[in-house]
Amino acid sequence: MQSNRLGWILLAPTLVILFFFGVVPFFYVLWLSFHQWNPFALDPAVVYNGADNFRALVFDNGFLASLGVTIAFVFFAVLTELIVGYLLAQAFMKEFPGKAVFRTIHTLPLIMAPIIVGSIWKLMTTPSIGIIPSLLASWFGFDLNIGTSAVAAFTVTVIMDVWHWTPLVTLTLIAALVSLPADPFEQAQIDGANKRQIFWHITLPMIAPALLATVFIRLMDALRTVDEVLMLTGGGPGSATRYLGVHIFKEVFPKTNYGYGSAVSIIVLYLTIVACWLLYVALIAPRNKKA
Amino acid sequence: MTRTEPQDVETPINLYEEQEEGRQSPFDRKARDGFLPIQTNWFDRVFISVIIWVALSLFWLRFMEPAGLPLTISNVVAVLVGVYIVWKG
Repeated sequence: MQSNRLGWILLAPTLVILFFFGVVPFFYVLWLSFHQWNPFALDPAVVYNGADNFRALVFDNGFLASLGVTIAFVFFAVLTELIVGYLLAQAFMKEFPGKAVFRTIHTLPLIMAPIIVGSIWKLMTTPSIGIIPSLLASWFGFDLNIGTSAVAAFTVTVIMDVWHWTPLVTLTLIAALVSLPADPFEQAQIDGANKRQIFWHITLPMIAPALLATVFIRLMDALRTVDEVLMLTGGGPGSATRYLGVHIFKEVFPKTNYGYGSAVSIIVLYLTIVACWLLYVALIAPRNKKA
Repeated sequence: MTRTEPQDVETPINLYEEQEEGRQSPFDRKARDGFLPIQTNWFDRVFISVIIWVALSLFWLRFMEPAGLPLTISNVVAVLVGVYIVWKG
């Protein structure tokens, strides 16, 4: 009983912070999503409008388009990060000259603020002054212009996200790979298993929890990407890179449509929770049940 | 003479497991198998009901309400489905 009380006392500061910075804002946004509110209008009153914001949302072509490009962005970015991150983690498990320097350099994007990452990539991809269009033009005769080509803009935002966040995946997977016991691998080698069999039947199942945690983190982050993309493309050309975060930003700040922005935010949160839950149910829950 | 099953014997290991079980949250202890494909506790089932309620409401707003069916029907259906999931899921 005493240890219970001590546990609650130790948890109390976290719970209080979580309540004021997590629970209260959530319920405030939820409450706001059922209201119309423009604080800068002539009449800044908060007016209850039932489900009108959600009613508008399901017919909003801008929102539906941004939902589509966000799903594509999340899929390509997170999948690429996982593959590249795993390959890099495997590379870092081996000894090679300059490993420490390379590992430090490879981690640098992770410590950069997203707005800086967006600025750097903006400078690198601007057609007249950027190094990437210049090199692509001189090497392959390819004209990269993220201001006019929707595919190019989308691809560059994915590459930028991969560049920024792959180190996180690499670091978590290195931690998972280092903690693996050597015995199963030695036994598999003795039994004559090849590298592919060892990967599918030993490495992957053993690092699955770490992999899944990384996917959750990246999925949640990618679904709320705003600043990098806003800095690089501003959501354009057209709505090619107007991801949900950018869509919410443009609804809430330039249009000061707080109620509708709150409704979109709630739906993004809903989609994030559902995506993570489905992943958990598909990958972890059956294993627990079997155990 | 009947053979005693190993799990019937109160060994220190079994006692330890019981203590561990006692430390589990009430949510974990009441996990069960229902018609849902995964083992769930009551919180999981409420969560699944809310997820279905939101999805059904959005579907209704987009496709059914323009045909003249009010959102109230969707809410009633969602509550009934929710109760069934919490009860039998």
